[in-house]
Amino acid sequence: MEIKTTAVAGTVESSDIQIMLSAGHQGIQIELESDVEKVFGAQIRQTITTTLQQLGLSQVNVKAVDKGALDCVIKARTITAAQRACQTTDTPAWEVL
Amino acid sequence: MVAEQERLRRTMMFVPGNNPSMVKDAGIYGADSIMFDLEDAVSLAEKDAARNLVYEALQTQDYGTAELVVRINGADTNFYTNDIKAMVKAGIDVIRLPKTESAAMIQQLEQDVLAAEKEFGRPIGSTHLMAAIESAKGVLNAPAIAAASSRMIGIALSAEDYTTDMKTHRYPDGAELEFARNMVLHAARAAGIAAFDTVFTDMNDTEGFYRETRYIHQLGFDGKSLVNPRQIPMVNQVYAPTHSEIDHAKSVLQAIQQAHAQGSGVAALDGQMIDRPVALRAQRVMKLAQASHIVDEEGNYLEK
Amino acid sequence: MAKIVTLDLQNPDVLPVWQRLLQTLGLQNFTPAEVAHLDFTLGLYEDQQLVATASAAGNVIQYVGVNNEDQVSGSRFNTIISAVTNRLFQKQIFHIFVFTKPQYSRSFQHVGFHELTRSPQAAFLETGTPDVHDYLAQIPAFPAAVGATIAGIVMNANPFTWGHRYLIEQALQASDAVYVFVVNTDASLFTTAERQQLVEAGTADLKKVIVVNGGDYMVSYATFPAYFLPSTEATIQYQTTLDAQIFRDIIAPACHIKVRFVGTEPLSKTTGIYNQVLAEILPPQVALKVIDRKKDDQNHYVTATQVRQQIAAGQLDDLAFLVPPSTYQFIQRHAQELHQRIQKGQQIHGN
Repeated sequence: MEIKTTAVAGTVESSDIQIMLSAGHQGIQIELESDVEKVFGAQIRQTITTTLQQLGLSQVNVKAVDKGALDCVIKARTITAAQRACQTTDTPAWEVL
Repeated sequence: MVAEQERLRRTMMFVPGNNPSMVKDAGIYGADSIMFDLEDAVSLAEKDAARNLVYEALQTQDYGTAELVVRINGADTNFYTNDIKAMVKAGIDVIRLPKTESAAMIQQLEQDVLAAEKEFGRPIGSTHLMAAIESAKGVLNAPAIAAASSRMIGIALSAEDYTTDMKTHRYPDGAELEFARNMVLHAARAAGIAAFDTVFTDMNDTEGFYRETRYIHQLGFDGKSLVNPRQIPMVNQVYAPTHSEIDHAKSVLQAIQQAHAQGSGVAALDGQMIDRPVALRAQRVMKLAQASHIVDEEGNYLEK
Repeated sequence: MAKIVTLDLQNPDVLPVWQRLLQTLGLQNFTPAEVAHLDFTLGLYEDQQLVATASAAGNVIQYVGVNNEDQVSGSRFNTIISAVTNRLFQKQIFHIFVFTKPQYSRSFQHVGFHELTRSPQAAFLETGTPDVHDYLAQIPAFPAAVGATIAGIVMNANPFTWGHRYLIEQALQASDAVYVFVVNTDASLFTTAERQQLVEAGTADLKKVIVVNGGDYMVSYATFPAYFLPSTEATIQYQTTLDAQIFRDIIAPACHIKVRFVGTEPLSKTTGIYNQVLAEILPPQVALKVIDRKKDDQNHYVTATQVRQQIAAGQLDDLAFLVPPSTYQFIQRHAQELHQRIQKGQQIHGN
């Protein structure tokens, strides 16, 4: 997949995470804002990175604002943002879900 | 003569499909069925987000023994096909089709679900279906809709759209829904599937909620659709059997057991033969009693 | 049940409800022009009560008000901010600003905003992409050999006149190189692209001048809406303070700018206040040099306003006294189009 536009998924409401993706040049760069950064920051970054890699995206700037999202929410929001950024929302990569 | 176990479906709680905190917590309230909504509760711009969120939650979250239902978007939308694929792949128990008006719509859904089961290697037939009836046409076709597929497990009345279609709105006494409720209920019973009543949205009118729930319980509905977890214990209270119902059910089941022990195919209680409906009702009463925490798994009364 | 709705402030039933919420929260000094400029306003209703609101104009979130009485702190705020940002994202706006009271800055930072600057009256924050770091990264640097004293000028150049040219020349005499930042907001007779192109053409012969789009950070609709809208003096004062601080603390250090040049402002009240605030805020980190405006041979000030008035009146012939040949040719070639823009209601007064 290829990023065609900046895109966002998720909200900054409780238990959610807002993920903004845009095309990058230096691998997967993640800027994370989270109240639980110290404890879960690494895990959140890992979930985002793994999901993007599974989608075949390697050059991405990520801005994430976490409000205590579970892993499954982080993964879902990352997939949605990636599909929007790659404009593949109507043809999801089923094997990655 | 032990009948197949019937699921309790007293409460079907609606969960907006794009709300992570509600999707996450849906399992903790003890609803018999959880219905993740991809349709009306999700704005057009967030359909993809809700579908992905529910999909991922179904992979990882523990919803206990609740029956998991998802309301997909209708066949007249661009979201229908991908909703079906994602939910079948996720292994959802039941797909609920909104605005069902004909048996053909269910048969089409059945084909689409079958195709998805094959595509994603799901056991054929593992995805059940239910229909929401939301129009005059749907009500009149309810018997055919309920019997349209062997995958059908239930049929539900959605009163908001239905009353609009009927050029009325909802009233406290529910007279405007009388015909539809009875049609849906009869269609369900004739087809041997469950009947769900519509939601009650005024959270401040507790008395009205109890009144409506008692009424649909009296009619014979399996249960009610709910928008707020606070309504779950209220429905369960209405559906809880009385002690005399429980005592009678225990006697019936004991008589059946005795007959079995004696190698007899015919059980009787107080000189009356116990036929299948009586046995089924006894089982259902005990199940309700257990679910209402009145008796334990053995059927013994629990101390309050 | 909590519900997000779009508030129609043109509706006389809705407006007072919205105003009352903001007033109870101490937000009241806004003009009808500022309200009319909003693209949309959202409200959060709980039990038929309006409990939170936020609006947006362009990429700027405004008029955020949240009633937090008997409420888990933050939840309504996060809901309304999520709603307004998601609406902007749907419009493909991914870089978002907010002006807010300093005490709300923390709440915005909790939902991913970064504070650019603050004064006792207001804080100014941004979120999304591209952000200020991306903006600074794309500004070309002068070679180190050019010298240590780099100057900066911010101009709307609507259009580029001999007056602008004169200001740049004065700056070049006093320093080693000059950044010219062209106001980015597209709210003038000449479009942003045209204004930038005319500044570039009008300075093409000057080495050691780099023309840069001012982005959202210098006299933009984001930092300084009062430049574009009728506003009270107090509003102009606090907005220009933030604008000046951003220049002093973010732009100047990144571009090694030591001095900022401005022209005297005999005609515009807004720009007059702006220059005054720059003088208070910029030094000592950045020196401010005020250059007397160029006058034409009849001792009239050379202003872009004059140029636009002559275009409106169709008096193109003596424009050559006011603008360099590049601007003059452009006006000649596009006279008809410029005229049409004016007839369609494009303001030629103001800045």
